Amino acid sequence: MTTQDLTGTIWAEVDRALAGVTVRAERGVMDVIVYIPRDEIIRGLRALKRDAGVSFDYLRSLTAVDNEAEGMDVVYHLYSTTRKHNLTVKTTLPNDDLTLDTATSVWRGANWLERETAEMFGIRFRGHPDPRTLLMPEDMDDTFPLRKSHPLAEIEVLQGEGMGYTEEDR
Amino acid sequence: MVASPQHEFETQDLLINVGPQHPSTHGVFRMVLTIDGEVVKDVVPYIGYLHRGAEKLCETMDFRQGIGFMDRTEYLAAHNAELSYVMAVEALAGLEVPDRAQWIRTILCELNRLSSHFMFLGAFGIDVGVFGTPFIYAWREREAIIDLFEEISGDRMMYAYFRPGGLAWDVPLNFKERVREVLKSTRQGIKDFDELLTQNEIFRARTEGIGYISAEDAIDWGMSGPSIRASGVALDVRRDEPYLKYADLDFDVITGENGDVFDRYYCRLMEMHESVKIIEQCLARLEPGLIVPDKMPRMLRAAPGEVYIRTEAPRGEYGIYMVSKGGNRPYRLKVRSACLSNLQALKQMSVDQYVADAIIVLGSIDIVLSEVDR
Repeated sequence: MTTQDLTGTIWAEVDRALAGVTVRAERGVMDVIVYIPRDEIIRGLRALKRDAGVSFDYLRSLTAVDNEAEGMDVVYHLYSTTRKHNLTVKTTLPNDDLTLDTATSVWRGANWLERETAEMFGIRFRGHPDPRTLLMPEDMDDTFPLRKSHPLAEIEVLQGEGMGYTEEDR
Repeated sequence: MVASPQHEFETQDLLINVGPQHPSTHGVFRMVLTIDGEVVKDVVPYIGYLHRGAEKLCETMDFRQGIGFMDRTEYLAAHNAELSYVMAVEALAGLEVPDRAQWIRTILCELNRLSSHFMFLGAFGIDVGVFGTPFIYAWREREAIIDLFEEISGDRMMYAYFRPGGLAWDVPLNFKERVREVLKSTRQGIKDFDELLTQNEIFRARTEGIGYISAEDAIDWGMSGPSIRASGVALDVRRDEPYLKYADLDFDVITGENGDVFDRYYCRLMEMHESVKIIEQCLARLEPGLIVPDKMPRMLRAAPGEVYIRTEAPRGEYGIYMVSKGGNRPYRLKVRSACLSNLQALKQMSVDQYVADAIIVLGSIDIVLSEVDR
């Protein structure tokens, strides 16, 4: 189910490794981007790691993107230390159910990256071995700074009020 | 009452808190050690003391303003940090960087690697217990490089010299001579360290066989840079996926064999020789030319899309994941910190080591906390 011309990329091998997983792909600026539904994400990631033809044994980065009304994307950047190729894997979560299975069973290095993603976006990683906050204070579990709905300018507004400025002055 | 030799003593594990304000934690890093006698049984690291939300702030800044935040995430190798960021902007805005700018960027990134590794050598000496001489030697060599950076960019640590498309301005006229002058003292400095530390019996006894990590584990944890190469994994973005001018340059990827603290130290030291080699080749090929593209847009706008740029910073892979939805600022910016991933393996490296060695293990990862916390 390719949406663009992906000849000359690793898509053919990835498609073969991901047999049985619903998958859609597109060509990114540097790497091929693969979309996997969230129910099949761990099965897909494990296949990408174990398949000898692609062997994505290295997790470069794991993060999320808040697309507001369209839900949240969790993004995995994979690399193969033996075959030296890259792949971006994405999965979309609906805003009313931000849960996803943990990838720590595939790469142990996903541990802290998922903790950070969880506290910054409010995504719950099911089965995470250590679901504490990472960078944020331990009790800060109800506000998610990297969401687009989180205000950035709150501090400025408070300072402005404290200094006696009114809305018209600014 | 004196206990008889047969008497069983009850022992108890002890919790020790190290940091966040502790000289050996290289900034504000805290770890809670569970120790049984002198042996570490568990390590729980705590980070986040230096979290400033650079990623969120960059979402509100236009592309040029974001450069300053990248400097502050990796203050010991700011050129390398800027590089990933401007390369991400260039990829999304479709800018071609002129040759001269690319050669200068390569030189400055490698010089920054040298200054950063000197910092490591000095600080690591203190961790191991040779306070004084190596630290002052390292500081002297680093100072020469920092002075050069100041002449070029006007700042000693936060350069903001790389700009999308090229450089802020051209280098001074005596650039080549000055770099050669600095390299001369650098070469001597590396030799000094080889004699001071590598050939020091006490130093080797302290570092060899400590903090082992296998190649498979290092890959699984996502380690990078000299910390993974010491375990024998030849992972180097400069050679595997060449950016800038690295494809045209001749250099070796230094790997270790034992994956211990000594190898992590020695990989860095040997890597410095390679950096000197790279800079010399760059100087020979640096020619006059443009430093920004001819048709530089007045207002920088990126096409919708996303890119993950990775470069080899002194501590490992410094990645920038930038998502653009059009306009003059990133929609989402993620900094992939090399130290964060390296630090995850700390527990595995420190367990069953002596307490004093746990400090060395931490030092051997060469963490910069502002990069970990961002």
